Amino acid sequence: MPLIVDEDLCTSCGVCVDRCTMDIIRLNDDGFPYKKYDECWYCGVCEEDCPENALIIDLPFQVK
Amino acid sequence: MELETDILVIGGGSAGSMAAIVAKEQNPDIDVTIIEKAEINRSGSIALGMDALNIVVQPGITTPELYMNSARIATEGILDYKPSYVMAERSYSILKRLEGWGIRFPRDEENKYISLQVHAKGSFLLEMDSPDLKLVLAEKVKEAGVRVINRTIVTKLLVNNEQVIGAMGFNIRTGKVIVCKAKATILANGGCARFSLPNSGYLYGTFDYPGNAGDGYSLAYRAGAQLTGFEFTQCSPLIKDINCPLLYITLTRGAEVVNALGETIDLEYVSTQNMLKELREGKGPIFIKMNHLPEERIQDIERILFTTERPIQKKFWENRGVDFREGLIELGETEYQLCGGHGLTGIVVNEKAETTLKGLYAAGDVACVPLQHLTGAFVFGEVAAEEAVKFVNNNDLGEVDQNLIKDEEQRLLNVMDNNKSGSISVKDFEYKVRRTISDYAIPPKNEIKLKRFLWWLPRFRDDMKDIQVTDHHELSRYEEIQFILDSAELSVHASLAREESRWGWFHHRTDYPEKDDGNWLKHVVLEKGLKSGEVQTLLVDIENGGEH
Repeated sequence: MPLIVDEDLCTSCGVCVDRCTMDIIRLNDDGFPYKKYDECWYCGVCEEDCPENALIIDLPFQVK
Repeated sequence: MELETDILVIGGGSAGSMAAIVAKEQNPDIDVTIIEKAEINRSGSIALGMDALNIVVQPGITTPELYMNSARIATEGILDYKPSYVMAERSYSILKRLEGWGIRFPRDEENKYISLQVHAKGSFLLEMDSPDLKLVLAEKVKEAGVRVINRTIVTKLLVNNEQVIGAMGFNIRTGKVIVCKAKATILANGGCARFSLPNSGYLYGTFDYPGNAGDGYSLAYRAGAQLTGFEFTQCSPLIKDINCPLLYITLTRGAEVVNALGETIDLEYVSTQNMLKELREGKGPIFIKMNHLPEERIQDIERILFTTERPIQKKFWENRGVDFREGLIELGETEYQLCGGHGLTGIVVNEKAETTLKGLYAAGDVACVPLQHLTGAFVFGEVAAEEAVKFVNNNDLGEVDQNLIKDEEQRLLNVMDNNKSGSISVKDFEYKVRRTISDYAIPPKNEIKLKRFLWWLPRFRDDMKDIQVTDHHELSRYEEIQFILDSAELSVHASLAREESRWGWFHHRTDYPEKDDGNWLKHVVLEKGLKSGEVQTLLVDIENGGEH
């Protein structure tokens, strides 16, 4: 269940990393967010607070 | 890093944020520090807001006494009078405070607040329109000049002569150890959402915020505080698989619950226990049905569900191709949890939010003010702050034993060193712990079954040496597994002690299937034995017999 990131919109500001309630998001070598740990509660904060609307979360397979 | 503060608040969610704001209101010269495991703008159980304030006593409409009647019924008598009364009495001023901060409470055409009845007597639940509630609280914390330390897990309360004098923990990204000495400490770090395993098998697919792993229960227990209500393992019928809530929002707006036989289930005061009973009796699956509702009502429900608390539901239903206008919503049993907000579990507190340890206060889901919901978190956030401010005026910083600090630092360093090449992932380990909780620590309970968990417990604690920990994030999960194990240990001991069945299914003992008011209208209180270091259980009378 990856984060779906629109790389044209993402400015690598890191708000998603800062706000993630489970602290599982990091920026990769290219500066784009990914889920480093497989512990998402799909709260939606990363998607909601992204200032560029560059990010969409998918539900974990087990619950979707 | 070592720092000193007047009031340390552990957990910056609803209760903790309120406590910090009110402490600064009471005295701006007091130094207040919040240690938060996540990031305060979006943390705790209301990261994406809440749709209702569940308990509000409106002057001229309802009374605290009426609320107490309802609360006594809802808790089957396991309720001390004073804390819940104080919550009810102060609930309207919380509403006004939130309104003053721009939180909207919708009104009807007669300009009255829209209230809904979910209690046996009286309409106490007020609709609230606040997807941004947590952002507002965080802003107020900032304006008040509170120091906030994010991404830090507290692993130990510092104690001297039965007085709490601060806490220590580490940054879950960098591992930097933080020691915070405090004149007063307020625990506000939630219940134990990661208790039994969700039916989906996904560890983090819980109803309540899974960052709450029983941290506060474990910290308070190890420091010597009393806890209670741990036998009341509680779950809810919510959206199957995803475990997101929708009951009050739909059922108070005309939705019905039907079983597999097409029968409508009697939902007296939105009784979740009635719904769960249908499932146990093989009449499931059960469904929420809304296809009889007018379009504007459906849109109202969708607007709330898809913007507040768990907006992910929109994506979930789109993916499943379910439209509320036609389709049925299947309900499933969530995992079991321990919680002061939804349940009867927590640290023993009085009406002043004082725990049994000097210098330690507790508020929100971590504290036992039964069924207090968000209202209780806010009221006791206020109360804890007021009392802590009085306390710091008369108390200086305590003397911290440096050996305690060194030992705890060394313990954490040892895990990082020794567990680098462990053979079991933190995730696999937690899975088995929580699967074992599902096997033995939840209803239906009996003595043999509960004791099976106690057989596993020392084995789990010993096997923790084999957990692989490669960074400080995983170290924080390792610490949380200890919190979960402690919470389960407390729960099993309480369940064994209460030799009767009470609170419906949630403490159902097949070996003591009847409720026994004659002997058991009492609290089962837990504390750490001073000599043995083992869990001690005491039976304590209900304050004022539950009467005023």
